[in-house]
This record gives sequence, C-alpha cells and structure tokens, in this order.
Amino acid sequence: MSTLIHLPVFGLALTLSAYLLSLWLYQRTGRPGLLSPVLVTVVIVAGVLQLTGLPYAEYLEQVTVLTLLLGPATVALALPLLRNGRALASSAPAVLATLVVGGALSVALTVAVLTGFGVGDDLLRAALPRSVTSPVGLSIAELLGASVPLAVVLTLISGVLGAVVGPALLTLVRVRDERARGFAVGLTSHGIGTSRVLAESTVSGGWSSAAMVMNALVMTTVLPIVAALVTG
Amino acid sequence: MSRAALLPPVLLGLVVLLLAQMVGLGLSALLGLPVPGVVIGIVLLVVLGLLRPTRAVLRVAEPAATPLLAHLQLLFVPPGVGILLELDSLAQKALPIALAVGGSFVVTLLVAGTMLQALLRRQDRRRARGRAADGRGPDGGSGEPGGPDAPQPGGAAA
Repeated sequence: MSTLIHLPVFGLALTLSAYLLSLWLYQRTGRPGLLSPVLVTVVIVAGVLQLTGLPYAEYLEQVTVLTLLLGPATVALALPLLRNGRALASSAPAVLATLVVGGALSVALTVAVLTGFGVGDDLLRAALPRSVTSPVGLSIAELLGASVPLAVVLTLISGVLGAVVGPALLTLVRVRDERARGFAVGLTSHGIGTSRVLAESTVSGGWSSAAMVMNALVMTTVLPIVAALVTG
Repeated sequence: MSRAALLPPVLLGLVVLLLAQMVGLGLSALLGLPVPGVVIGIVLLVVLGLLRPTRAVLRVAEPAATPLLAHLQLLFVPPGVGILLELDSLAQKALPIALAVGGSFVVTLLVAGTMLQALLRRQDRRRARGRAADGRGPDGGSGEPGGPDAPQPGGAAA
C-alpha cells in the first residue's frame, strides 16, 4: 500500500476514478445539486489522503497535469462569452447595470459580515473571490495573497448553493425570465450553477456562463482595490 | 486552411489556448499589470473573436475548448482537496463564513434576478412598441417596471 500511494500515477488515477464515480452517481440519482460531482470527488480524494496518510503536497505533485490544464481551460471561457455576445450586446444597459449592482452587493455584504465578526484579514481575502468562477478566482486569490485552497472551497460552496437552492429561490420571488434566471445564477454561482441551469434551458445556460465570465473580468480589476482598502 | 485541416484538431485547439494564455501571462509579467495573465488571455481571445480577420482562430480553438469547459470542475479537485489543511480555521469561523457566503449569495442572487427581469421586460416592451409603430396606448408608460410581483428579497438564508 505504501509503495502504491507513492507511485507518481497514484494521484491522477485516484482523482480520475473518483471523478468518474461521482459523475455516475450524479447521473444515477437524477442530478441533485448537493451531489455535484466536484464536491463528491473532493470528499472522496480527501478521505483517501486521510486514510492512506499521503501528504497533500505530494498528491499535488502527482496531479500536476490537471493543474496545468487549468490555464488553457480558463482561457477557453472566452468562447461562451462570444457565443452569447449578440444577445447580451442587444441588452447591454440592463446587463451592465445588473452586473454592477450584483457585484457591489456581493462584495459589500461579504466584507460587512466578515469585518463585523472581526475575522482575520486572511479569511477576508480568501472569501472575496467567492463568487468568481474558480479558475479566475484562484488567480485572484493568489494575487491577493490569500489561501488558495480556502478560496477554492468557498467558491465551490457558493457554486453548490447556487445549484441546490438557486433556481427554487428565484422561482419563489417570481423571476421566471430565462435570461434573468441564468444571469443571476451565473453571477453568484459560476460554473457549478451554470451547469445546473443549463439543464433548465439553453438560454439560461448561455446567459449564466456569460454572467460568470463578465463577473470574473470585473472582479479581477475590482477585488485587488477592495482588498487593499479593507485589509491592513 | 486545407493543410491545417490535416492536423489533429484537439491538439491544434489546445495550442491556440496555450498561446493565448502565454501571451496573457507574458504581458502581465512584462508590464507589471495587476491582472492575472489568464484573464488577459480571455480578453485576448474575445478580441480575436470579435475582429473579422482573426475570427477563424476561435473555430480552431473550439475542439479543445469544448471538452475542457465540459469538465472544468475536474480541474478544481486538486486545489479543493487542499481544504484538508484549512479544516481547523474553517471550523473555528464556521458561523461568520456561513453568514458571509450564504447571505451574500442569497441577496445577490435575488436582487440580480429580479432587477434583470424587470429591466429586460421594460426593454422588450419598448422594442415591441417600437416595432408596432401604430398608436396603440401603451399600458405601463415609463414607470417602475415589474413592481407588483417582486417581493422583498432576503430572509430565506439557510
């Protein structure tokens, strides 16, 4: 066992099999947001690391391939934005106003609650990129000098929240417009939320991914300034 | 073009994405920009896709971009597992984190959803009126749109 876990391919084999298992489980159970494949995979892999005693740093080294692919995958986010470009451009004022108000609310509430509780700057910095799609959020966390794992997990939690309760909450306040539903979910719950609303309609999915990318672009420029203002 | 068609499309697409990322990272480092290189890479691709002569680049990137985006979440597993190292600090501050993440999520979601729906409705109504350029009386005027069926958001945080 101990020779097995130190094989250079162990981490990748573990991660990919856990991911496939999670995907299968997700599809078999009717795609509940709570069983979001990324969440289940993280839990399985973390459990195996705990059980086998494989250090996290060594695991990271074993899965360098995945970390490397994150870059080109992030750049690929340009495509959904372009694909929905025409619909968005024709509603530019509405979209931009929502983007600004939504982004400002999200940042202001996060800062207000966390400074209200007097938590440290570390946590505040990690919580700021929360609603930004993970690949960009991860770069922002690095830029802010925040704990990257913490930032990623808070982002995942936001995404799962959006997938689990997002559509139901929107229905509760009678937001029925597919475009508005998609945009709101994409703004708050990025990729995980997007894949959930994509199941509702392709219009929602398109608006959701566009909101996610636009939010990422805005937050990249805004968050470093906010972080400088609110942390010591 | 016909020669490029012989190359493996996924690898070709991957190279386009990698080049865009490298240019982004390079620019960010060279100019000391406070923006992550990957974000510059996204912007670069968007610009290339908008300009007519370079639009074909996007079609080349597509075969690699589609599978990467479809399984984007797989790539967050390694950083996500790093939470093992943060469990203690997370557990200590569970309440403020839950309130900050949950609260700002719920409020932002509901405000953004109702706001955009109202704005889009108004826009659609205006356009419909513009198209049907006969003088039929508009019902809402330019008053507050989507008002009555939008209760105050908030409260539902769990």
